[in-house]
Amino acid sequence: MAAASSSTRASSSVSSSGAGARPPRSVSAPRRVTTPSKTFSSQPVPIDFAGPVHRSNRIDLEVHGIFHGEASYEGRIFFNNPDADRNTPKTPENGYAASFYIFGHGGCLGDVGHCEVNEDTREPYDFRPPHPLTPAVKRVKVTRVLQEIAKTSKEVVITIVPVVTAANELCDTENVFRCEEMRFVSYNP
Amino acid sequence: MANGLRMRLAIHNLSDRQIGALRDAYAQIMAIRDNRGYGFLAGLHGTPGHYCWHHQQNARSALQMRLFLPWHRAYLYNFEMAARSRVADVTIPWWDWTLHSPRQTPIPKIFNDQNVNRRPNSLFRFRINLPNTNPPINRDTERDPAPERELPNQGDIDEVMSNTDWADFEGALEDLHDRIHGWVSGDMGIIDTAAYDPIFWSHHAMIDRLWWLWQARNGNGNITPDLLDVVLAPFNFRVRDVLNANSLGYDYAAAQSVVTVGGT
Repeated sequence: MAAASSSTRASSSVSSSGAGARPPRSVSAPRRVTTPSKTFSSQPVPIDFAGPVHRSNRIDLEVHGIFHGEASYEGRIFFNNPDADRNTPKTPENGYAASFYIFGHGGCLGDVGHCEVNEDTREPYDFRPPHPLTPAVKRVKVTRVLQEIAKTSKEVVITIVPVVTAANELCDTENVFRCEEMRFVSYNP
Repeated sequence: MANGLRMRLAIHNLSDRQIGALRDAYAQIMAIRDNRGYGFLAGLHGTPGHYCWHHQQNARSALQMRLFLPWHRAYLYNFEMAARSRVADVTIPWWDWTLHSPRQTPIPKIFNDQNVNRRPNSLFRFRINLPNTNPPINRDTERDPAPERELPNQGDIDEVMSNTDWADFEGALEDLHDRIHGWVSGDMGIIDTAAYDPIFWSHHAMIDRLWWLWQARNGNGNITPDLLDVVLAPFNFRVRDVLNANSLGYDYAAAQSVVTVGGT
């Protein structure tokens, strides 16, 4: 399939660790968290590629470089609704497009450096498996929703509302969604 | 079975005898503290082993390391064999999380009863004891499930199964898998401790079954040939070794009732 892409760089601020001072006792069992996490909203992204003239039969939103070392969460994707939050109904009228789910590691249970990912500096003959916290990629189909928006708009604002499903005291649940880049990728028949 | 294949059956169809055998097997391996035991095997997935493959881990090269499904098939095989070494005919039952009340409680009853016949239910929880993690963990597993309405339905599965491209299918099924871990929450909700929860194995049997059903329709699809010889550490399997579930000695069925045919 032929692909065209439009990308936007996520700018959500990232703290290197939410752990702070570590408690000496046993780590608690993870729990669902009801306090809101920071949402991410992009700058307006051109969506000419989603117009009918391009006859796309599939459009994906790819989220690259997702951090998954701490809490697990649902990432709810809304279009053109930067005010969306965890209480916003997941309906097309509210701009809801789809969700992706991150199964997080639950925070660092090792010594200093255990959760540092150094894949970029790996030497050529290092055949060990990649670090388990190598950032994740999620690909979500948003074809119909985006094509509908493209009928009346040339741009879209992407909002990610993270809803934490499991976290313990080692997890920074406020900054749970951290990624490097998003891309729209469209395909033609 | 006449063909020698063992059957992994649906939880909602297990007989009392089959449930009893499952509880017995889990209880026995939970009592073993060496490398045949439950704690050791659960620790291969998250902490302290960190062997599991999730989220593709593909930064190393352009080769997409989509090992989530093969690795967990090898993992379930090894766990099931450990269980069968204690109780000969036991298999890991699959949890169909699309079945809703009243047919099945959100967390299936066999996993939700704290005690059975006045004895602790081995399928309810496990004591995690990891003194060398930092911080250490020494407590029972817990769950914090979401409302039943947030469980997937058959439509969600149909959508995943409609993918004919291997990468699309693998990614979609892994995402659905991630959703269930988050739905159960508690220890199942994070990678580090998920496998210590006894329900983990039945969740993954469901995932493995869906892959097997997809394979029945699509073969191995366009799985990247470069992946086939990747070793699924710490198990003595390569990816190609686990593509055929039958070659690992098992299959999936909804239920099984053996009829002994007596001669005269």
